[in-house]
Amino acid sequence: MSMSKSILGDLKDDIVHGAKAPIRAGREVIGTIRALRDGRASYREVGLTAGATLGAIVLLLIILFPLYYMINVALAAGTGAASLYEEGFFASPTEYNLAAFEWLWYDSGFFFRPNYQEAPTVGMWEAFTGSFLANSLQLVIPTVVFSMILIIPAAYAFSRREFKGRKPLLYGYVLLTQVGGGISIAALIAIYVVFNQLGLLNSFLAVSALYAAGAIPFNTWLLKTFMDNIPESYEEAAIMDGASRWRVMWEIVLPLSKPGLAVVLIFVFLAGWNEFILVQILLSADNHPLSVGLYRLIDEFSTPWGQFSAFALVYALPVALIYFFSQRYVESGLSFGGMEG
Amino acid sequence: MSFSSENADRSWVAQRLPSKDDQAGLLVLPGLLTYGIFMLYPIMYLIFLSFTNAGGAEDLIRGTYDFVALDNYGRLVQDSQFWTSMGVTWLFVFVSVVLKIIFSVAMALVFTHDRVRGKRYMRALAIIPLGLPPVFTITVWRQMFSPARFGIANEAYINIAGFLGQNPEPIGWFFNRWMAFASYVITELWLAYAFMLIIIVSALQDVSGELHDAAKVDGAGYLHRFIHVTLPAIKRPVWFASILTGATSFQQFLVPFIFNNGGPSRYNEFILLYGYREAFQSPPRMGIGAAIMVIALIFIGMFMWINVRKGRLAEGLSDQ
Repeated sequence: MSMSKSILGDLKDDIVHGAKAPIRAGREVIGTIRALRDGRASYREVGLTAGATLGAIVLLLIILFPLYYMINVALAAGTGAASLYEEGFFASPTEYNLAAFEWLWYDSGFFFRPNYQEAPTVGMWEAFTGSFLANSLQLVIPTVVFSMILIIPAAYAFSRREFKGRKPLLYGYVLLTQVGGGISIAALIAIYVVFNQLGLLNSFLAVSALYAAGAIPFNTWLLKTFMDNIPESYEEAAIMDGASRWRVMWEIVLPLSKPGLAVVLIFVFLAGWNEFILVQILLSADNHPLSVGLYRLIDEFSTPWGQFSAFALVYALPVALIYFFSQRYVESGLSFGGMEG
Repeated sequence: MSFSSENADRSWVAQRLPSKDDQAGLLVLPGLLTYGIFMLYPIMYLIFLSFTNAGGAEDLIRGTYDFVALDNYGRLVQDSQFWTSMGVTWLFVFVSVVLKIIFSVAMALVFTHDRVRGKRYMRALAIIPLGLPPVFTITVWRQMFSPARFGIANEAYINIAGFLGQNPEPIGWFFNRWMAFASYVITELWLAYAFMLIIIVSALQDVSGELHDAAKVDGAGYLHRFIHVTLPAIKRPVWFASILTGATSFQQFLVPFIFNNGGPSRYNEFILLYGYREAFQSPPRMGIGAAIMVIALIFIGMFMWINVRKGRLAEGLSDQ
């Protein structure tokens, strides 16, 4: 797969570039100081720049305070703190222990069926199959596969082909991109009844198909706008050389829409991984995914913070990392067509 | 991005290959069918449900329900809870959208400013909230508003008040109607700013530097330039993002659901939560719940329509 290779390459460049940022900043500071000394830069200019940058940093810190608080919550896990008031972040190193992570591994239901340790009558694999993680994967993987299969050809057809009903369809899709997940929550009552009548309650695949369906309009539109921005000259050249349309699609259009594909993949994955309202109604308790597992730890009055943190950390961190390192794609994805003045 | 390829005359490639292109419609069909089966059909069914007096799902399977025409809607109009939900939902839309716009535009201006170094990294950090599971972030926010003394919001409040020589009691955030509402607004602001920030930043980056420089040469101050150069350039994307985020606010479900279930005493039960509760409470009232959701969908449809119409999103798509 050359595509994943080049995405990984981009990612590596991003990480390297990011890692070298302090070096660049240091050089800039040294350069500035030298310029000041030699009288090549005015103190006023430098002062303004430094002030503005400092102001922006302060603003950023204020915005991200909740995030710091969340990390704090996550680290409280290491202290097994019952309440957040027992400082997790500033706890003395001797106070850190792995109790919460032990609980996570053995008793939480995250990796293995709950209570698997007390009566290990089943093998490890068997115990894994009933876990929140296994349920999440059984939901997310089909969701991603279904969505990609449904979205890619449609986006290509909208972008490069003319067919009957193209305009009204596209108009309908554009309409549907303008709302979030509210439609599925609004339709949940009917979905529940229909699933019930068709015997689809408690089926992972049915819920995955539902997630994929919800993701179709927005992501098809997104990918189409990406493809619209690929110059057609490549295709023209290939067609001149006698390549078939399908070859052109496979070998030119798809590889060039790599960033778009990455965004769609991430959006669809996130949607499936994070959703927890529909899934609570449509699947029975044994089949609930991680999102519901985390939600169940929350009590009206007391939350076992150490346990909650450990669970949340392992549940949210991989997703946050994927998202963070794919930002360049997400940004270009979100500022899609029609947003510019 | 523009809709250059959306113009009436299709691309050179498409014209040059007048193959049986209607086949290409088949590429769209699977997605369309999936959407139809899993979303459009349930919505039709929902409309049908809203005309019945169905209680639970068993009623519908066994057929033990009656067709009651507009009865559910009539009952809703007389139900004070319906008006409470409607009112508080719209209030939330207006208050949160105004704050989101002010906040996001200000942030976007800071994080695109010429004098700020390391903008790219700051922006990368600033949009992290988009990538975190809502069930996690909202729970942590709930903890911050904990009515007890150690909720961070109360701690800050008491410390600031103490600094001013006062000694107030901690605020019972979720036990007071408007305090709970305020906590939803603050949380929504934090959940949604990243999305708007991305859109506005990309619009700002398109504002021509030359215009700014010309205005500078003419001696226009920062405020003047902002009003006459920046604002006109970002007006449309901001407007567009506002409607989008207004729709998001209208559909807010998780925050009240996780914080205090739309309390105290159902004062803050946003419309989707209201419909959900009516349908899935015990005993369930699916007919009434469906009617509420149909009304919500009509408003959601309005949001969609306004944006596509006014945002000229569908330029070259529609025949008007």
